[in-house]
Amino acid sequence: MKKIGATIGAILASAALGGTSHAADVKIGVVMGLSGPPAIVDFGESYLQGMKLALKDYSAAGKHKIEFITYDDEANPQKAVSLVQRLMQSDKVPLIIGTVSSGNVLAFAPIVQKAGVPLIAGPSIASNITSQFIDEKPSFIFRCSMVEKFQIEGMLDWGVKTFKKIGLVHSTTGYGNFAAKEIADGIKARGSSLVAVEAVAPNVSDLTPQMLKMKESGAELVLDFHESFELVFRPMSKIDYKPTIAGNWGLSSLKVRDIVGAKEIEGTVMGQALDLSLDAPKAFVVRMEKEYGKDFRWPVVAALGYDAAQIAFKALDTAKSMDAEAVRDSLEAVDGIKAISATPARPYGPKDHECLDREHVFLGVWKDGAVVRLKD
Amino acid sequence: MSAEPVPLPYRRPLLRSVLFLLAAVVIVAFPLVVTNKFHIHLAQTLCYTAVAVIGLNILLGLSGQMSLGQAGFYAAGAYGSALLSARLGWPIGYSMLAGVAIAGLLGAVVGLVALRTRGIYLTMATLAFGFIAEITVQRWTDLTGGTMGVLGIPSLDFGSRKMGGAFFMWIAGAVYLTVQILSDYVFSSRYYRVLLAIKENESAARTTGFNVPVWRTAVFALSAVAAGIAGVFFTHQSAYINSDAFTLNLTLSLLVATVIGGLGTSYGPLIGTIITLAIAEFIASLYDISLLVYGSILLVVLLLVPEGAIGIMRRIGAIAGLGARRLTTPQDISGSSMPPTAATAVPPARTGGGPVLEIKGLSKSYSGVKALRDISISVAPGTVHALIGPNGAGKSTLINCVSGLYSADSGCVKLCGRDVTVEPAHVRARLGMARTFQNLQLVPSLTVIENVMLGVRSQRSWPRDFIAWLVSAQYDAVERRRAYELLAAFNLGHLSEARPADLPYGHRKLAELARAMAEEPVVMLLDEPIAGLNDAEAHEIAEVIGTIRNGGTTILLVEHNMEFVMRLSDRVSVLDYGENISEGTPEEVQRDPRVVAAYLGTAADAVSTPAQAAQ
Amino acid sequence: MSTANFIQLALSGFTMGALYALTAKGLFIAHLATTRMNFGQGEFLMIAAYLSMTLLLAGVPVVLVAVLVIGVLALMGWGLERLALRPLDRLKSLVGGQYSWVLTTMGVALIMQNVATLVWGKSAQYSPPLFSASRDNVIKIMGVGVFVEELLVIAAAFLVVGLFYVFLFLTRHGRAIRAVAFNRETAALLGIDVTRSTVLVFVIASVLAAISGILVGPIVTVQPHMGLVFTVKALAVASLGGFANPLGVLAGAIIFGMAESFSNYFNSAFGDLYPLLVVLALLVVKPSGLFGEAKADVR
Repeated sequence: MKKIGATIGAILASAALGGTSHAADVKIGVVMGLSGPPAIVDFGESYLQGMKLALKDYSAAGKHKIEFITYDDEANPQKAVSLVQRLMQSDKVPLIIGTVSSGNVLAFAPIVQKAGVPLIAGPSIASNITSQFIDEKPSFIFRCSMVEKFQIEGMLDWGVKTFKKIGLVHSTTGYGNFAAKEIADGIKARGSSLVAVEAVAPNVSDLTPQMLKMKESGAELVLDFHESFELVFRPMSKIDYKPTIAGNWGLSSLKVRDIVGAKEIEGTVMGQALDLSLDAPKAFVVRMEKEYGKDFRWPVVAALGYDAAQIAFKALDTAKSMDAEAVRDSLEAVDGIKAISATPARPYGPKDHECLDREHVFLGVWKDGAVVRLKD
Repeated sequence: MSAEPVPLPYRRPLLRSVLFLLAAVVIVAFPLVVTNKFHIHLAQTLCYTAVAVIGLNILLGLSGQMSLGQAGFYAAGAYGSALLSARLGWPIGYSMLAGVAIAGLLGAVVGLVALRTRGIYLTMATLAFGFIAEITVQRWTDLTGGTMGVLGIPSLDFGSRKMGGAFFMWIAGAVYLTVQILSDYVFSSRYYRVLLAIKENESAARTTGFNVPVWRTAVFALSAVAAGIAGVFFTHQSAYINSDAFTLNLTLSLLVATVIGGLGTSYGPLIGTIITLAIAEFIASLYDISLLVYGSILLVVLLLVPEGAIGIMRRIGAIAGLGARRLTTPQDISGSSMPPTAATAVPPARTGGGPVLEIKGLSKSYSGVKALRDISISVAPGTVHALIGPNGAGKSTLINCVSGLYSADSGCVKLCGRDVTVEPAHVRARLGMARTFQNLQLVPSLTVIENVMLGVRSQRSWPRDFIAWLVSAQYDAVERRRAYELLAAFNLGHLSEARPADLPYGHRKLAELARAMAEEPVVMLLDEPIAGLNDAEAHEIAEVIGTIRNGGTTILLVEHNMEFVMRLSDRVSVLDYGENISEGTPEEVQRDPRVVAAYLGTAADAVSTPAQAAQ
Repeated sequence: MSTANFIQLALSGFTMGALYALTAKGLFIAHLATTRMNFGQGEFLMIAAYLSMTLLLAGVPVVLVAVLVIGVLALMGWGLERLALRPLDRLKSLVGGQYSWVLTTMGVALIMQNVATLVWGKSAQYSPPLFSASRDNVIKIMGVGVFVEELLVIAAAFLVVGLFYVFLFLTRHGRAIRAVAFNRETAALLGIDVTRSTVLVFVIASVLAAISGILVGPIVTVQPHMGLVFTVKALAVASLGGFANPLGVLAGAIIFGMAESFSNYFNSAFGDLYPLLVVLALLVVKPSGLFGEAKADVR
């Protein structure tokens, strides 16, 4: 209810101000998936929450007056391209951050690269976002988010070592199929194979048939690469089958814990970049809960959003000018970041435009209602 | 009949052509003058989206078919061109054409559903189709890449970074302009009349000679082509597509654009697309309430301003005294008028010897009730043959079977010796069978003269018709004059621009009669032509029917009014409980005791009265 | 496939089928009396699911939740008819002809969706079970594990369908509605309050959506986008029944639900697509549904 009042207030305010606000020194363009299916929205809103907290922190003591110009791409690539054009041509921003859907990022990345405006991609996780452009001289595409390939590799290393029979449930979207292929290749390379594979439609509401198939195959570990992460858990008590579940970082969302139940989700493993057994992350979670209350639901995504914004601000501070090219160079050389996630102090380099490299991604596990690092 | 002036709608082809030329100039100049690439991008989007909306406008506004699956055809065009150019390396020109063809083909296939369903079933079928298309595109990742999309699609920029946007705009703009001109043509031509007839009065359309299912499917397929065109441009504008773009929201936004501009007008789509794109840009930062905004727009427009922006503009224009349908002066019409009798003359070639209409052994039953039992009637040329009988005798059923709206269970119908028993209604109409309806089937959205013009047979092939429209102010003067003369013969000439709803009942019946006469039929089937009229009006119609008969047209009419029937008909058949119980001249039938019994009951049924007892 | 699995799948299919039947009946009765319906039926269901979830999480007893949610949705149904449908009669809009109601009810659906995201957020949410204390309440029937919740959903759904029939065929108001469905003008001449019947059918349709929403919440995750899928499937199911035959709707729904369940077992990727394709194909072959009858207006 409070949100409605806030929204009405926002509408009136932006109408009154007519879009032009107080003279901000620098504007950062943000394109994010903020409407559409929960699978998109949870990512988008959480990342943005982290970014906004970082902005708050920066504004307290920062050099410039920085403002986000935020647009919702509605998980629609046409819209995303159009909005990015708008940010570059009309709003004339020197730096863009976004978006959730890897498809959308792949749509506008070439445009951004051609136009010479630096992009910090996130929270999209498709493996080829930065690698596609890394050989450009120079490359304007960076990322601060999980990389799908790394979390799959980590998961397979551990899975093949720990379990004999592994099954896979994945969605039939591009994301699900892409992950399925990487898993199939990875398992084969490790000398093993999957006992059962089920491809499921994204908006199905009941996975009883698929979990029955998993049970029949005797899978002890079920890899969950479906956008509605919670669905594999639901039929388990009905059909009397309780395998270990592992999946990508989506399984670390607090919402999933609420829907599935803290008891049921205990022992579930996922790709992670935020260890809540450490102090800085713990403090971060406390601050986020205070700032956003019940709306805060995804520690790792918010943490990466926070770090992405931090990096952006540092880059702007140390840049020789507010020219897009100069900002890019500064971004590549940023150092001394005190990241919340596992991002290192110097996240980028001439040949590395990823915040999180393979060594920074680890496996997390649900323990007593929180996600901590899985001990080997 | 004097040579009265035939009112023509306001037409200035020269002015129109100048305006089109002006539009072309604007399209060419725009990307050269405007430097902001984003604005050029918006203009490009405007051009191709408007094409899709024009297609939807004709589908929904004129033919009355609601499609909730346009996103599926858009996707067919988009993916068709994307895959052919990106994966198979086709040159853009060919892949775009192929993409449009694929969308059209898919439209024809789905249109087969349109062939068989109507109304709410069609809407639901298209909704299901759109849903299925969305899901298929999302999940058939081997083909479409799903949400990861198709990469490496060439842009439509002829390899030029600087002028690429301009080139795209010119091509998209040219396509839009072409489609808009064609749309204007449709709205000014007989296609407009036929489509509205199909939308509002299918039975009338069928019995006036139009193959309704084929027309509906054709319009459906064309709207799919329009959506496909938008899809191919979309693909090559972003140089990347994925399945997220082709959802129900896309269909809804096209619908909003159609409605908000003014459904059923030729320029509504352009205005509507401009407004919708403007709103989308305006609320880009107010993303939390975008659905609220769209939903409210739909409600507000449909409930308060159903005519859309064009409607508002017209109202303002009317107040300012502009743009009313002006009529030209009498000197503009060349050629003399023709007296009604000559106008209804039947070309001798059609009437051979033998009966014009022959019905043999016709039977029809509904769920067990036998409405017609083995009816045989023969109608001689140049006569008025009446069909009478008490209520429920099956007279209307017989007319419906003869005209082809119902199919009989057994028996045959022959028109001038040719067996038409299995022919659909529109074929029979084209062979010379016209009819009127008991409950008046005029098309409410058309003016009276346009209703009559529906019956006038067009002489021209459509390319010549199109050129005539483009250059000549006399474009449809011949048809119009013909229709006007028929109306004038009924003293309805002054009402030709009115709508049927404005006319009193009697005049509407005359108008319908005029439409039937416009078809220059061999035989006319009149279903209760004077029901609901007063004596004077009935007298008038009797005169007209007599005149038509004298001109050589054969008439089969159903009536209750004995005096009317007896005075006018040459032969009478009597139906009772679906059986033909009597046939002969009016005098013979009047005296036939079976007929008297059918109408008045037998002596045994009669209540005993002193008069009867005295006999 | 083992017998246990077969029964398992059949039961899941039956449960969803029962829910589709309830939703579809709402569409059916509205269309019966007015040839229009609420294209936002799924969104109404979604709102009911959210309201029910919120009240249950706040600790309100189930019976009270049902009463409140049904009340709110009945009000919404009344509002829909009054504000988005009845004005269309008055306008006798030539625009969009007989389809304006599709667009207005869709407009309302969009607004409802946005209201839901503003009030409850955009993520998926979890709704607590109606009839059991915990979400793991499983009982074994013939060796097959079944959620007690699902069984009770089936029972409740059938009960409501039964009440629906009784209403439609045995009560005065039900007969009035059927009279209006047959011929509006004649019904009016016979002294039936046509306006009241019209309002009543939309209220009933919304009440059916409410009940479906309350029952479906615990079975699927509640999120603002769940509406459209239900609308499409309810429409498919209603068209199977020919929009003319209440029995047809129920039969069609159960068949559809089971087909979906088994289809998903054999081919998870496209499973829920096949039943829709079949319905589409059926419409081509038998345009007025399995049990309906085509009529041309040629009087």
